Amino acid sequence: MNGKKILIIDDDQHLLMGLTARLKANGYDVVSATDAISAIAVALKEAPDLVILDLGLPAGDGLLVLGRIKGLADLAATPVIVLSARDPSGNEKRALDAGAIAFFQKPPDNHEFLGAIRQALGENIALSTFLKT
Amino acid sequence: MNSDVPGRIGASEYLPPAIQSATFVTSQGDESSSIELSPSLRADLLDLGAWAEILTTYGRTMRVAVALTDPQGRLVGECHNPQPVWKLVNDAAPVGGEGCPFCITTHVPCTAVVAALQGGEVVVVRDQAGLTHVAVPLLLGKQRLGAIIAGQVFDRYPEPLSIRRVAKESGVSAQQLWEVARRQVPISRTILLASGDLLCVLGQAYLQQRYGAIIEAELGRTNRRYRLLVDGVRDYALFTMDLEGRVSSWNGGAERMFGYVAAGIMGQNFSCIFTPEDIASHVPEKQLHQASEAGRTEDEGWRVGRNRQQFWANVNITALFDDGGPDRGFAVIMQDITERRRVALAMEETRQERARLQETFLSHVSHELRTPLTAIHFFLTNVLDGITGDLPPQQHEHLSLALDNVKQLKDMVRDLLDITRVETLKLTVEPQQASAAKLVAEVLSTCRTNAALKNINLRSEIAPDLPLVWADPARVRQIIINLIDNGIKFSPERGTLTVGIRRLAEDVRFLCLWVSDAGCGISPENREIIFDRLAQIRSSVEASRSGLGLGLFISRELVSRHGGRIWVESKMGHGSTFYFTLPVFSLAKMCAPVLTPQNLDGGSVTLITVDVAAIEGSDQANILPKIRKVLGGCIHSGQDVLLPAMSDVEPVRSFFIVACTGLSGFNAIAKRIGLGLQNFDSASTLKPVICSTTLVVGAGGSREEKIIEVTARIEQLIEVHLLNEERPK
Repeated sequence: MNGKKILIIDDDQHLLMGLTARLKANGYDVVSATDAISAIAVALKEAPDLVILDLGLPAGDGLLVLGRIKGLADLAATPVIVLSARDPSGNEKRALDAGAIAFFQKPPDNHEFLGAIRQALGENIALSTFLKT
Repeated sequence: MNSDVPGRIGASEYLPPAIQSATFVTSQGDESSSIELSPSLRADLLDLGAWAEILTTYGRTMRVAVALTDPQGRLVGECHNPQPVWKLVNDAAPVGGEGCPFCITTHVPCTAVVAALQGGEVVVVRDQAGLTHVAVPLLLGKQRLGAIIAGQVFDRYPEPLSIRRVAKESGVSAQQLWEVARRQVPISRTILLASGDLLCVLGQAYLQQRYGAIIEAELGRTNRRYRLLVDGVRDYALFTMDLEGRVSSWNGGAERMFGYVAAGIMGQNFSCIFTPEDIASHVPEKQLHQASEAGRTEDEGWRVGRNRQQFWANVNITALFDDGGPDRGFAVIMQDITERRRVALAMEETRQERARLQETFLSHVSHELRTPLTAIHFFLTNVLDGITGDLPPQQHEHLSLALDNVKQLKDMVRDLLDITRVETLKLTVEPQQASAAKLVAEVLSTCRTNAALKNINLRSEIAPDLPLVWADPARVRQIIINLIDNGIKFSPERGTLTVGIRRLAEDVRFLCLWVSDAGCGISPENREIIFDRLAQIRSSVEASRSGLGLGLFISRELVSRHGGRIWVESKMGHGSTFYFTLPVFSLAKMCAPVLTPQNLDGGSVTLITVDVAAIEGSDQANILPKIRKVLGGCIHSGQDVLLPAMSDVEPVRSFFIVACTGLSGFNAIAKRIGLGLQNFDSASTLKPVICSTTLVVGAGGSREEKIIEVTARIEQLIEVHLLNEERPK
């Protein structure tokens, strides 16, 4: 366990359950939020090392949440990976322009997705010990 | 008419020029005559009423009988000025239809006529009674129209014996016949022949005059018919203009379409039917110029009627040459297609709107499908990866198959959206410099699992030293995966699937990628339609287990958006090979905006290199596009060119700009780049180094040669630069 904390912001309970299990299996602490408003509150309270953000959220678009995160001094430095069912054309650029470090379309390739998480957390990939992906 | 016309008539001398182009010459004749006259024209040329005057005048003057015959020597019409002896005998025993009209008691057609037509000359013949006549041929070119015969006179004093015999045969009184014959003054054969020559000249002259008159009347009728036709056309405006564009004729359709009557617009310049904007930008003049250069020009656009109302017209302008004659100018055919255009536009709009709705809908469906798919994906992979505990082998196998199906569903969702994008023209490719070999290697590694399930041997045949391509890597991967998935689907167990790349022999500007299977092959009639969207949907029943079968359709669209083409070669029972081409990256094409003739001649083409401190790891993907954006903002877009990454060796440190600039210009650009990067990189970790090399081009040679020289130089400079950079320091 490396104890890094990841916040998943997504309104799909089943996705939360599946992804949480995978991340936990890789040694991460996982917290979650299911709507745009509570997302910021949870982020401020939990101070995660990384945020995985969906774009279609109840009570506000994910891009707004991303804007808020980047606008808050306490959170601005936290890397955000967007994981959305939306089409990458256009959305990917919008997300990156708003400060996300990567865009993945659902369902993502597990290997690439976890690779991006590790990179964002500054972990040395070769040395990390993780389960099969 | 030639003054030395002899008794013989050279047939061709009498060929009137107009006959060569006469419209009613019905066909090319046999070898004896090159021109065939229609029966009606023949009849018209030998019109009895028209000939009567010349024949009677001649007969009275020369004191001979005269008549027309057909080419066989049979009388046509009446005998003018008949002579007493012949009249007496003929009244008692009329010459039958077949007999010579001018010989008494002869029951064969006139032999003189046949001989005269055959030889083209005047022929004399004398009958049993001693009556003589000449036959004069009537020829038009080589056409034998008939003959004029003249005579019924004695060429010496009559012989009583012959007269008595003739009288007996024809049943008239010998005494009476002799009295008449004795009083008829003989005309010598010489004079008869000379008068025959005169008749020949007269006949031919009249024949030609008559021919000319007939042609003229016919042309007049034709012109009138055309005018009626042109005026009668109501749905098209038809008009002619002189070389300057002044209207010279204006039909009823034009009157109706534009509201100008012919009298009102004749002589005016046709620019009056253009919109003010078109007139201001010299469209009328340009169209005339184009029509006279190319012979014709076509256009669609707004035209203006007299009441200022505009309509959308389809316009055809044809140059009229008239062999340099006075009617040179232009003919214009115009159709009002405002309504047709409106309907077409409305239909297109409806189609677009439908496609947009479809895209919105499918985009929504795709989003909604992806959400549960993602949950399934995570649960399956979690279980498969043992996150939820150990898994017995059989369950592992079943879950793997379930995961395969998830992957298929995912591809289908992507294809559905791509298909709609083809229609809304939103299926885009973002080409960059890419290594096709590297892309194929990546794809092969991801496809191995799938191939292994069917024990298919996946191999590659990649030619060495391939140039880079100008293509969208993600899209090229999509195309190759499509083709490989197809190949796997149709390959037998333990088959071999080969993916290859080679240069395209026919066109060095392309690379050819291919995927070859040993499957059942594709029948010739299906080789075209497999790329077709509908055909695929129909045949998708059999392929329903592997997606929507839209892969080839989408692949074709993607390949064509790269500027390449896709095709299949196949042998039934032996397998198929799918080929597609991708354009080779070309520095010359990329640098085209800079390599203008002026820049090449002015020696102002400069290669600017910007080196930054190495960017490692994850930041690379993040920062590179931003640096490129900064650099892009420091040059004249559309004039200078920021080259794509020239090497796929990471980390990327060097950027290249081909610009049109001198030394002072370079200093300005370098300053802008320095400031731009400084703003972006506040921590000053990039430490940019900016250099320039001015490229001098040899004065001689064509533009193409200069471009080849410059691009070769740029490539060389970049290569050297990259080698120096990559060398460990």
